[in-house]
Amino acid sequence: MSTAALLRTDSAVRPTHRPGFTDLVRSEWTKFTSLRSTWWSLGVMTVVSLGFTVAATATYTHDYPHLDAATQSQFRTDTVGLILQPAAQFAQLAVCVLGVLLIASEYSTGMIRATMLAAPRRTSALLAKAATLAAAVFVLSEVVAVACFLIGSRIVRAHSVVSITDPTSLHAVLGFGAYMTLIGLVALSLGTLLRHPAAGISMVLAMQFVLAGVVGMIPGSVGKHLAGAMPSGATVIMGSGHNASNVYSPAQGLLILLGWVAVLGASALHTVKKRDV
Amino acid sequence: MTTANTHTFDAAPAIEARGLTKSYGGRTAVADLSFAVHAGRVTGFLGPNGAGKSTTMRLLLGLERPEAGEALIEGRPYAALIAPMTRVGALLDAKAFHKGRSARGHLLALARSQALPDARVDAVLDLVGLSSVARKRAGGFSLGMAQRLGIAAALLGDPRIVLLDEPVNGLDPQGILWIRTLMKQLAAEGRAVLVSSHLMNEMAVTADHLLVIGQGRLLADCPTAEFIERHTDPAVYAATPQVARPALLEEAFMRLTAGAAEYSAH
Ligand SMILES: Nc1ncnc2c1ncn2[C@@H]1O[C@H](COP(=O)(O)OP(=O)(O)O)[C@@H](O)[C@H]1O
Ligand SMILES: [Mg+2]
Repeated sequence: MSTAALLRTDSAVRPTHRPGFTDLVRSEWTKFTSLRSTWWSLGVMTVVSLGFTVAATATYTHDYPHLDAATQSQFRTDTVGLILQPAAQFAQLAVCVLGVLLIASEYSTGMIRATMLAAPRRTSALLAKAATLAAAVFVLSEVVAVACFLIGSRIVRAHSVVSITDPTSLHAVLGFGAYMTLIGLVALSLGTLLRHPAAGISMVLAMQFVLAGVVGMIPGSVGKHLAGAMPSGATVIMGSGHNASNVYSPAQGLLILLGWVAVLGASALHTVKKRDV
Repeated sequence: MTTANTHTFDAAPAIEARGLTKSYGGRTAVADLSFAVHAGRVTGFLGPNGAGKSTTMRLLLGLERPEAGEALIEGRPYAALIAPMTRVGALLDAKAFHKGRSARGHLLALARSQALPDARVDAVLDLVGLSSVARKRAGGFSLGMAQRLGIAAALLGDPRIVLLDEPVNGLDPQGILWIRTLMKQLAAEGRAVLVSSHLMNEMAVTADHLLVIGQGRLLADCPTAEFIERHTDPAVYAATPQVARPALLEEAFMRLTAGAAEYSAH
């Protein structure tokens, strides 16, 4: 190579327009799609979802004649929950890892400085990341949810018939995408606050797989309500709303999760704005 | 002097620090630092390890906030710039990119954030000599290649101002020569180049102007030749032929900082 090569004689070197938020989203989308870990996470999310839908629906269908009446009735009144919730409970792991890594890997590699130099108002860079993650996770989760629903409802149809065109089913299918997306944003916020990939992943997994169990040990209905108010409790949004074991309705579950995203997201934005890079 | 009028519209300096002060956990890293960096020359930012060079650069770029003072780029804070990478290019640390991304992917993401055409990415890859490995994982790059990628990112927006923090650290002689030539060329094209180093010899051969810093304070701000003349033993200076005088920078620096015993303590 030669350093005598052109720099300023290259007349193409001007922004094609005044860059704005859309350009930051394009930039974040480029980053997102140019990492193998993104495709791995999304692939794992898809496979695990389908796997757990099949496993849960097949097990219940097979065991149905031996179940007590209460469980049988729960199976029939919350069939969508049976189809979608086990899938989401386990597949969210991939989304959590993806969300944390999206930002924490920038801190751990030093890439964050390049990001902040490109977008020195800082919060817009994080918002562009959030938009990218949310769009990708929502679209893919909806495709996955429809596939899970179609497969799961076929497996259970001997004992319970649900159609994807029922409003309850539609809400649940939309709820699956909303849950995955919002959990991804929770993970992104935690990754921003903690900066270290391992710390962020540990924290978000503890939050999703341990926290509800711990607060649920508080005796009486307090423990049940608290456990349901944790982000992981929001899986009710992909249920029928008629499951006796749920303390919150799907709509309340959505509000709870939105609340978590609002609180953690606002702290992440505030921290990014204030903290030295 | 009849043309004096034409100079009344003098623009703000490329970079200006006004009373920059920053401390970490009560320990002062940069103290009341004021200086200006002008276009068309290489300004060397010289000081021992821990003097506050990197901190100053992060303050100039808005990555950190000063406790007092302000940092201005052509008269405005960095954070107020539109498409900042087209105004200022910076190389802070080599390898500050995601290991799993290709060089091209890394630069494409940066270019798109500034609304720069994708073609510019291939142009800078070519400029730094990375075209043949553009699609390889940047995590596998040698330090020299990583440094080139960092330079490519800095030059992506064809900026008028370039900041380089210890760009020759760890490079082989060929890499050092490449950076040195590049910096001189950038200055010759009329850009402002601020380059930090703790290596006297490096600064002596590249910098036209010196900002010398010790323990976060500015110790000198003058042309390199003048700095050497002012701070070397006059007898030694007189006895040294002109071409060899850059080699006296180290001695000049040592004499200037002789009072600050703390240097040897760190
Ligand atoms: N992020 C940080 N946290 C704590 N101390 C820091 C940090 N960055 C720099 N320092 C301290 O500030 C001083 C100046 O450091 P630095 O700017 O890196 O110097 P230089 O680049 O000249 O070697 C040093 O004492 C260093 O230990
Ligand atoms: Mg340094």
